[in-house]
Amino acid sequence: MTRSPRTLAVVDAGGATTSVSLLVRLAGRWRFVATMAGPSGTPESALLAVVADRATSADTELASWPDLKPEALAAIPVLAARSRRPKTLLIIGASRRSVGEMEAQARRTSWRIVGASTESHDPREMTALALDPSIDAVLIGTGDPPGPDERAALDDLGALGGSIARRRPGLRLIIGAPLQARRAWSDSLGDDVGDADRITVAPAAAARGAGSEALRDALGALLVDPEDGRDALGAVAVTFAEILGLRVEVLDIGFDGGARHLAEPGAPGAGPTSRGVVTAAAGLVPPEPDDGTVDEVLAWSTGSLDRHRMSDRLRDLRRRPWVDGTGDGARLRLAAGMAALARLATLTPELGGGPPADLTVVCGGAFASAPAPAVALAVADTIRRNGTTQLAWDHARLLGPIGTIENESERRSLLADLLEDALVPLGSLLVAGGVRGPRPTPRRTEGRHGRLHLDVDGTVTSHDLAAAELTFVDLPAGVGAAATIEFPEVVRLGKRTRRVTAPVSGGLAGLMIDLRDVPLSLPDRRDRRRSRLAEWGAQAWPRDDR
Amino acid sequence: MSVTQVAPGLDLVRARPITIDKVESWFSIHPGERPLTAVGEALVRGAQLAERLREARTDVINGPSGDAVAGDWWPGGPARRGSRSAAGEMLFRSGGQWRIATGDPSEPLETPHDGIVSEVRPGSGIRLRSTSHGVIGSDVLGGPTSGRLQILVPRDGHVRTSEIDVASAGAILVVGSSIDAEAITRARAVGVRGLVVAGLGVKERRDAAASERRARTGVHGLAPFAILVLEGPMSRPIASPIMAILEAIEGRTVAIVADPACLVFDLAGTLPKVAPDLVRVTAGPLAGLEGRWGGLAGPHRFAGGVILEAGWVRFGVRPAVAVPLGDLERFA
Repeated sequence: MTRSPRTLAVVDAGGATTSVSLLVRLAGRWRFVATMAGPSGTPESALLAVVADRATSADTELASWPDLKPEALAAIPVLAARSRRPKTLLIIGASRRSVGEMEAQARRTSWRIVGASTESHDPREMTALALDPSIDAVLIGTGDPPGPDERAALDDLGALGGSIARRRPGLRLIIGAPLQARRAWSDSLGDDVGDADRITVAPAAAARGAGSEALRDALGALLVDPEDGRDALGAVAVTFAEILGLRVEVLDIGFDGGARHLAEPGAPGAGPTSRGVVTAAAGLVPPEPDDGTVDEVLAWSTGSLDRHRMSDRLRDLRRRPWVDGTGDGARLRLAAGMAALARLATLTPELGGGPPADLTVVCGGAFASAPAPAVALAVADTIRRNGTTQLAWDHARLLGPIGTIENESERRSLLADLLEDALVPLGSLLVAGGVRGPRPTPRRTEGRHGRLHLDVDGTVTSHDLAAAELTFVDLPAGVGAAATIEFPEVVRLGKRTRRVTAPVSGGLAGLMIDLRDVPLSLPDRRDRRRSRLAEWGAQAWPRDDR
Repeated sequence: MSVTQVAPGLDLVRARPITIDKVESWFSIHPGERPLTAVGEALVRGAQLAERLREARTDVINGPSGDAVAGDWWPGGPARRGSRSAAGEMLFRSGGQWRIATGDPSEPLETPHDGIVSEVRPGSGIRLRSTSHGVIGSDVLGGPTSGRLQILVPRDGHVRTSEIDVASAGAILVVGSSIDAEAITRARAVGVRGLVVAGLGVKERRDAAASERRARTGVHGLAPFAILVLEGPMSRPIASPIMAILEAIEGRTVAIVADPACLVFDLAGTLPKVAPDLVRVTAGPLAGLEGRWGGLAGPHRFAGGVILEAGWVRFGVRPAVAVPLGDLERFA
């Protein structure tokens, strides 16, 4: 007779760090006990040994479990999500326009992208790119039917595709149907194509009708990996929505990519629905940070680094993402994380249109070393929508591995057990747009433009609110309250109103009332922008000695 | 004796490999650059691997119509309007004509170390298997190259222009923690074949690359030159275990290759030993310091209110200091 396990090691092996958590089954439900993360490559067994040692040291009952003795740890069942090396896709088209359309679709997948067109590259350069061993797949696409700017190059592209397929027999090739119909393609390819399954038809990318998403789906399907935690977050969002009956948004920023999923419970009788994007473009720092990336991070940085120095720091962060997690290094990492969140928001306009989700879950190693209020502020700065959301943080990186559980009922059961343990409540974020009024300055404090009445178990406290400002109000984790906000004028807070009452809950960051513009408006001059960011950041970073 | 027996918790510190055995170098070539070697050939340092093109381009030729396939070499022949086309690599045939990759003057790509050719991919690269060791770096600019190894400054030194003279011609110089762009240009000008530096920032990289482009535009047959960056963009002292190896092989002929980024060397004896409890701080206010592992310190609060797992490190005779585990490395 086999006994069901009462211990479970949850491993999230990411591109930068590996996290190992210990779950135990107590009183009929799974409980989270402890977690530890180390740089990628740290032996998981070593991390588990420390985690188990801490658990048994802190709890006498666990100390008596033979499963948690050092010699028995190797037998603990493991639930793991493992990130693979990101793959690079070369996109070749007949014109810059068509390549741009394909890139727009491919950017919303986990592929890293290199683009080339017959307008910008000659055949030798395109062949050189395709023969580069770092290229994992080549997409040669056209519109269907091809556009006027593409027709002259169809034979060249078909012949190029055939020669590439012939010269790199193991290469994945996705090629448009109009090109496969050309004789130049078949002549160039020859009779011996090797594994024919590696050559697939590329749906047209032209943004006319449904074809545009078909290309994205086709590219995404080539990367399906049942062990990938980022891919699995969509399933987690759906399960959350089902368990809680709430709209749930999951935001993930990792080393090699990011994800954004929005799940809704659905109508009675129908199952939950989910939309989402997993993209390599929302990684913490791209492999070769260019000037654009440097500027994006500088835009969120409160430090005084010049562009060269910032470029050095970002390259160092890319090379050794687990280092320098304190002081300025933590701020730099979060600035890079905010730039990635901003890229993610830009890539997912369809998810940012409606009201905010009831619950927003923040995941990913980008936030691992930042204080909780700073994480909440990062979300408030970048994913801006009028309304109220509760923020939570997947601090132990459990959600990715749980998402890899294929059996839906098992996943739901485990997540339901861990609901209170897996997520650290950051607090509630209330964003009101259209709030007009003077911004208070050190000399002018009459900038008050609204008032918050916070009712906690019948005890009401009031706070002044200033236009274009951010206010943190202490509200401990686990405490629910009713927040009533009054304004002299109509503002946008989910709806247009002067007064609104919303249920809020506490967390490590408390309650954040954000009366800044939506979208966030910041000065163009870098020193002033930095100064504004530093003012807001001072409320979020503890013991800020700047 | 295993590492964990030396000091509990040390296996949670990331192990950094500093050498590789039996280096297999990959030399990238581009379409039109003709391989001059074949799989199985044994090559000695200085043997030609391929012909490199200085100004590559695509030509359109009538070319052969028979069994020729992409990747074949076109020896040159009649072209349009009665002229003669240059030789080149056949890319693809479209509209009855071949596109070939060709170029005007060519430069030899020479192997910087001995080895046996294990792979030749026209238009892509050549792999050379060797029995040599390699000191692993972060990345390489330029190259490949070879020369005798010369240590110019201590591991935490910084090299300025005035410290480089013609006596170093033909050498690969170890220049400590950092070097400025002017000194790189001077090293190139006096015939230095390569540099080994701990950190090289983006500005210095761009300046050096621009200087190299200008030099190559003006001079044909410029000797190869490479910079092996050991740590990355940030300036740090060279790690002492790496410096010990460099000191052990000083005066020998070594090579710099880009893939894998390393300094290739031959050593008959054994490599210098690394103390098993030696750890190095890679970031933060103590970056570059080396000390002895003192065990796990548990979660600690650091600057900025950040709480991270830490380990105790003893620097000399001072009391142990808690350092974030992520900021530490040990040597494998």
